[in-house]
Amino acid sequence: MKQQLNIVVNGEPRELFIEPKTLLVQVIREHLGLTGTHQACDSSSCAACTVVVDGMAVKSCSILALQVNGREVLTVEGLAQGPNLHPIQQAFIDNWAFQCGFCTSGQIMATKALLDENPDPTREEVQAQLDGHLCRCTGYNMINEAVRDAAKRIKAQKETANSEKGAK
Amino acid sequence: MKTIITDFNYLAAKTLDEALDLLCKHKDDDYRIIAGGQSLNTAMKHRLLTPEYILDIKGVADLDYVRFDEKEGLKIGALATHRSVELSPVVREKYEVLREMEENVASIETRNWGTLMGDLCNADPAVDPAPPLIALDAEITVSAKGEERTVPAEEFAVDFFETVVQPGEMATEIRVPPLPPNTGVHFMKYSQIHGDYALASASVLITLDAAKEQCVNARIGLGGVGVTPIRAKKAEEVLKGKKITDEVLAEAARVASEETSPISGIEASADYKRELAGTLVRRVGKEALERARRA
Amino acid sequence: MSEYSIIGKPTPNVDGPAKVTGEARYTIDMTLPHMLYGKLLRSPYPHARILSIDTSAAEKLPGVKAVITGKDTPGGKWGLWRRFRELSDQQALATDKVRFIGDPVAAVAATTEEIAERALDLIEVDYEPLPAVFDPIEAIKDDAPMVHEDFPSNINATRHIEWGDVDAAFAKADYIREDRFVLEAAHPCAMEVHNSLASYDKGTGRLTVWTSTGSPYFVQQNLADALKMREGDIRVIKPHVGGHFGGKNSTMPDSVNAAILSMKTGRPVKIVFNRDEEFTTTEHRTAQHMALKLGLKKNGEIVAFEVKAMTNGGAYTGLGATTLYLTGTFITMPYKIPNYRYDGVRTYTNIVWGTSIRGFGSVPGKYCSETQLDRAAKDLGIDPLEIRRINAVAPGYTAPGQYTFESCGIQPCIEKMAVRVKEKWPKIEQDEGIGYCAFAYMTGGIFNWIDTPYAYSSAHIKVNWDGTVDLYSQAADVGQGHNTVAAMICAEELGIGLDDIRLHMGDTAHAYTDLGAWGSRETLMNGNAIKDAAAQVKQKLIDIARMKLGENIAYDFVARDKRVFLELRPERGVSYYDLVKDAIRHNDGVPLTGTGHYTPHNKGMISPAYAMGIMAIKAKVDRETGHVTAQDVLVVHDSGQIINPLGARGQTEGCIHMGLGYGLCEEMPMDQGMLLNPEFVDYKILRTRDMPEIEIMHVPTYEPNGPFGAKEAAEATIAPAAPSLANAIYQACGAEFFSNVLKPEKVLKAIRAKEAQNNATSQAKK
Ligand SMILES: Cc1cc2nc3c(=O)[nH]c(=O)nc-3n(C[C@H](O)[C@H](O)[C@H](O)COP(=O)(O)OP(=O)(O)OC[C@H]3O[C@@H](n4cnc5c(N)ncnc54)[C@H](O)[C@@H]3O)c2cc1C
Ligand code: FES
Ligand code: FES
Repeated sequence: MKQQLNIVVNGEPRELFIEPKTLLVQVIREHLGLTGTHQACDSSSCAACTVVVDGMAVKSCSILALQVNGREVLTVEGLAQGPNLHPIQQAFIDNWAFQCGFCTSGQIMATKALLDENPDPTREEVQAQLDGHLCRCTGYNMINEAVRDAAKRIKAQKETANSEKGAK
Repeated sequence: MKTIITDFNYLAAKTLDEALDLLCKHKDDDYRIIAGGQSLNTAMKHRLLTPEYILDIKGVADLDYVRFDEKEGLKIGALATHRSVELSPVVREKYEVLREMEENVASIETRNWGTLMGDLCNADPAVDPAPPLIALDAEITVSAKGEERTVPAEEFAVDFFETVVQPGEMATEIRVPPLPPNTGVHFMKYSQIHGDYALASASVLITLDAAKEQCVNARIGLGGVGVTPIRAKKAEEVLKGKKITDEVLAEAARVASEETSPISGIEASADYKRELAGTLVRRVGKEALERARRA
Repeated sequence: MSEYSIIGKPTPNVDGPAKVTGEARYTIDMTLPHMLYGKLLRSPYPHARILSIDTSAAEKLPGVKAVITGKDTPGGKWGLWRRFRELSDQQALATDKVRFIGDPVAAVAATTEEIAERALDLIEVDYEPLPAVFDPIEAIKDDAPMVHEDFPSNINATRHIEWGDVDAAFAKADYIREDRFVLEAAHPCAMEVHNSLASYDKGTGRLTVWTSTGSPYFVQQNLADALKMREGDIRVIKPHVGGHFGGKNSTMPDSVNAAILSMKTGRPVKIVFNRDEEFTTTEHRTAQHMALKLGLKKNGEIVAFEVKAMTNGGAYTGLGATTLYLTGTFITMPYKIPNYRYDGVRTYTNIVWGTSIRGFGSVPGKYCSETQLDRAAKDLGIDPLEIRRINAVAPGYTAPGQYTFESCGIQPCIEKMAVRVKEKWPKIEQDEGIGYCAFAYMTGGIFNWIDTPYAYSSAHIKVNWDGTVDLYSQAADVGQGHNTVAAMICAEELGIGLDDIRLHMGDTAHAYTDLGAWGSRETLMNGNAIKDAAAQVKQKLIDIARMKLGENIAYDFVARDKRVFLELRPERGVSYYDLVKDAIRHNDGVPLTGTGHYTPHNKGMISPAYAMGIMAIKAKVDRETGHVTAQDVLVVHDSGQIINPLGARGQTEGCIHMGLGYGLCEEMPMDQGMLLNPEFVDYKILRTRDMPEIEIMHVPTYEPNGPFGAKEAAEATIAPAAPSLANAIYQACGAEFFSNVLKPEKVLKAIRAKEAQNNATSQAKK
C-alpha cells in the first residue's frame, strides 16, 4: 500500500505517494527526475548516490525513502545559487577533479557535508571523509586538491561578505 | 541497478513501547526490524531476505542516545548511529578506543545513517564494534514486551549473521562499564584496502596494578576469525598476573591465534588469518600496555 | 612551446559545468515517453545445451510486452573487427548452447523494471549441462570440451612475431634467465554500467540507439551485423559516458537486445545491467600464462628475448585477439631488442571473455618483463635504472616489420628520473624499496581490421555568421577529456577562443566516421582530423584577409587571438569575426565549412607515434602481515606536446590508480566458471586513502605525426605501476613475484620463501 512522503528537496516541499519499499534514490531519480544523483553499485559500497539529508551525507541507495519523511534533502541540483555555481562546483571544475563525472555528484555532496562541518580540512581529513567514494577515473588526488581549494574559496567568500557587511 | 522488488507491510514505531508492541504482535510473522537499513536494504535488493513485514525503529527517539555516568559507565541506545558514537565527547574522553574503531567502520555515509546496534545485530563475523566491546566487558540489553535480559558482548552473536535476539525481541542498549584505573585499551583491524571489513581485528584491554608493573586483568576480543567475534580467554590468562614483556605478549599472541577458527575466503586463507590475529594481538597489546602505563 | 595561445595551457573541462551540476545526461539517466524496460535472462551453467525454453508464463504476466529467445532474433553475429568474420562469434541471445555463466538466453520488455525482473523468474529453460573448461592449458588438450564446434583445441587466435636470429643470439648470450608467470584477470569497473536505450521507428524502419560506449561507429557496425540492417538505418548516439577503460569498445547484448525488443514492441526499450551482471558478463582484462626467456651480455645489453603467452580468452572473441597480438609488441618497448620471438595463443574457455582493457597488450606483459629485468640486473650486479638506460631506444628506432619511434624521449626521461630520485628519496628506510619500470604505448592503433571504407577519423566544422563554430565529430569523450582537447585544437588552429566553439560529438548521424576511443587514438587521430578541418576554414579566411589588406607580397598569415594578421607585421590584420562575415556574405551565402580527415600512411603495423617514459615507486612492506604500501610515485613522461596539462595529469593519475589496483588487489577468482566477487564489496578497487601522492614530470618531444606535436597520455602509464611496485618490494626484501595482485598473504609467502632460500644458502656456505 502506498504511503505518503513529505520531504523538502533542494528547498522545495514535495508530497508523494510511494510504495514503502521505495529507496530514497528512486524518489530522487525516478519520481523527481533529479538524475544528477547516480548509482554505480548494488551493494551500498560506492557512494555515487550520496546526497545530504539534514546536513549529513548519506547513501540514497540504502535508505528507505519513508525514513526521510519530514526531512530536508539536498542533491547536486540544489547546490548552485541560481546561475552561480557553488564554490565546490567551481573548484571541482578548475582542479580537473572529475573525468567521466559519474561519481562526481556523490563526491561533491560529501564535500558539502564535510566543509560545513570542517571548513579547513587537511589532505588526510579529506581522505578520511571521502574514503567511501569509489572513483575509477581520477586516482582521487585531484579530487582531494579540489576539496581543499573549495574550502579556501568558501573562506574567501565569507571574508568578502563579512568585510562588505563591515563596510556598510 | 537493483531495487527492492518484493513488497512488504511497513510499520514504523516512534517509541520503545510502540516498537515492543509491534514486535509482540508480529512475533510469529515473517518480519524484520529495520534500523538504518544499511545492511538490510542491500540484503533485500539481492532478495536474500524477503520479509512480509518491516518494523521500522529508526524513528524511536528514546533509544537514540550516548550517555555516561561515573557509576554505570557508558550507555549506547539502539538507535545511536555509528557517527554519533564517533563524535560523542564522552566517548572521545573516556573510551577513545571506540572512537578509533568507529573511524574505520565502512564510510562516513554508512556511519551517518547506520546504527552501531544494527551492525552488531547484522552479526557479520568481522563486525568492528564487537572486539572492543568484548574487551571493554560490555553487555547488551535485549528487550521484549514486559521483559528484559542482558547478554555479555562475547555471547551476543551465535553464528554467521545470527544473534541471541529471538522473535518478538530487540536489542535496546549497550552498556560499557567504567574503566578501572591503570587500564589501557586498543583496537586495530587489518584490511588490505582502507575502510573495508576486517580480514582480522583485535582489541586488547590491560589493567595494571597500582605500581603499573603487573597485569591484574586482561581481556581480548577478536573479529573476523570465526563464525562470530570471539573472546580469547586463554590468551588473557597468559597476560594476567604477569609483568608484560615482549615475550609474554608474543606468547599471548600465539595462544590467541590458536583460539581462532577462521574460514578461508577469497582474500586470504584460514592459516593467514590465524597468524594475522596473533600479529594484531601482539601489536594491539603493546599499545594497550603503553596506554595502561600512561593512564 | 610558447607560440601557442591555447595548446599547452591548463584548461578546465568544457563539460565541467554540466558534470558538476548534475545536468550532464548519461544514457542511464535517459527515458523516453512510452518507454519499456528490458532485462536479460542469463545462463546459470558455464556450458550447456539449450533443450527448450518456455516463455508462456512470463508472457502472461501483466505489464510484459515482449519475451524473446534466440529464435526471435535476426540471428546476425558480431564481435571482432569485420576483417575477421570467422571470429565474429557473439549473438544477441544464445540459440543452441550457452558458453559461460551469464550467457543471455532470453530477453523481456515490460512496463516497469520490476515486472521485467519478475518475468525472468517465470521463464523456464531446460538445459543439458555439458563438460566445461576454464583454464587455457586444459583447453588446448585433445580431450577438452569444445567451446565452439568449429575451433579445434579451442584455439581462438594465434600470433607469431619474430625478428633477428633468436636461437643464435641466445647461444652467444652471457646470461640467460627464464621465468614463468600467471597473470590474474581484472575488470575495468566503469562506474556507469553498460546500458542502452533503443528506439525503433516503425514508419521508417530506422533505429536510434543511445548507449554508454567508447565507439559509436563500432556499435553502429555491430548492430548492423547483428540485426542484418544497413548501417545507415541505424543512428548511434553516445551521451556522456560514465567511464570506459576498454570495457566499452565492444558491443554488448544490452544495445542489441534493446534494439530487437524495440523492433518487436514498437516502443523505446532501455536495458541497464546490474553491477553483478557488469562483473560477470562484460569484458575484462584477460588472465594469462606467460613464459619469458631473456638473454643478456655481461654489461646488461639485451641480445635476445623470447616470449610465450597463453591467454584465457573466454567464451567469445571480443577484441581479445587484438590484445593477444599487441602483447607480443608492447612487451618489447622501449628497448632495443635485436633478436626477438613471440608466440601467443588465445584459447576459448567457458568463462566470460577478455578484451582490450586500458593499456591492452601492455599490462600483463610488462609486469612479467620488467620484474624479470630487475632480477637479471641483480644477478649481473647492475643498477635497475642503469640496465633500463643501457637498453632504451633512441629516436628513429625500428623494430623490424613492427614499429618505428619517430619522436622518442626515453633516454632523457631516464636521465631526469635518476636526478629526481636522488633528490626526492635521499634515504630509504628499513623494508622500503624503489622499483622502476620503463614503458611505451601506442598513440592510436593503426590496425585497420575494423575494415571501414572511411578515414580513421574525420571532423566537420561549420562556421556561423557570428563567428561561432559548430564542430561535428563521432569522436568519443568517455571521461578522458577529449571534448576539451578537441575544442582546444580547433580553437588553436583557427586562432579563436574556446568560447567560440560548440561541440557536437559522438553521434553517427552528425559526421563522418571516427573509430572511437580505443588505443589512445582520439588526441592524435581525431586531433589531426579537426586540425585539418580547421585549417581549411583558416585558409579561406586568410585568402579573404589577403585580399582585404591588399598585400602584394605573400607574407605568411597567422590566425591568433581572434585575428588574422601578417606574421612579420602583426599590426596589419583583420578581426576574425569580420572575416567570417565577409566570407559568408560576400560569397553568396555559401556555407563556410571544413571537412577534415586523418588516415595514417606508411607508419608500420601498430601506431603512428608512441608515448613513453619511466615510473618509479617507493613502497614499504610489512614483514609480519605482508601488507604493501605504495608510498610515493614518480613519473617522467614523454607524451609529446601536452595539449591540456590538467587532462594529462588526470589521465596519468587515473592510470596509476588502475595499475596499482592491478598490482595489489584486483582479481576475478572463479569457481567452475562462477565469479566469486561480483560486487564492489568483494572486488576491491583502491580508495582515496590507499593512493600515494604522484609527481609527474614531462620531457616533451615534438611528434611529427601528432597535432601540434602531441602524443597520447591516456594509457601508457597504467602498465608500469604494478611492476614498479613489485620491483620496489623486490628491492626492499628480495621477495619475488611471478604473478600480479600482491595480496598480503602472497607477499608474506614470498618473503618466507626468500628467507628460507637465504638460510639455505648461508647454511650451504657454512
Ligand atoms: C559498504 C559497507 C561497508 C561496511 N563496512 C563495515 C565495516 O568495515 N565494519 C563494520 O563493523 N561494519 C561495516 N558495515 C556494516 C554497517 O556498519 C552496518 O550496515 C550498519 O551499522 C547497520 O546498521 P543499520 O542501523 O543500518 O542496521 P540495519 O541494516 O537496519 O539492520 C541490520 C540487521 O540488524 C537487525 N537489527 C537492527 N537493529 C536491531 C535491533 N535494535 N535489535 C535487533 N535487531 C536489529 C536488522 O533486522 C538487520 O537484520 C558496512 C556496511 C556497508 C554497506
Ligand atoms: S549506489 Fe553505490 S553506494 Fe549507493
Ligand atoms: S570521475 Fe569517473 S568515476 Fe569518478
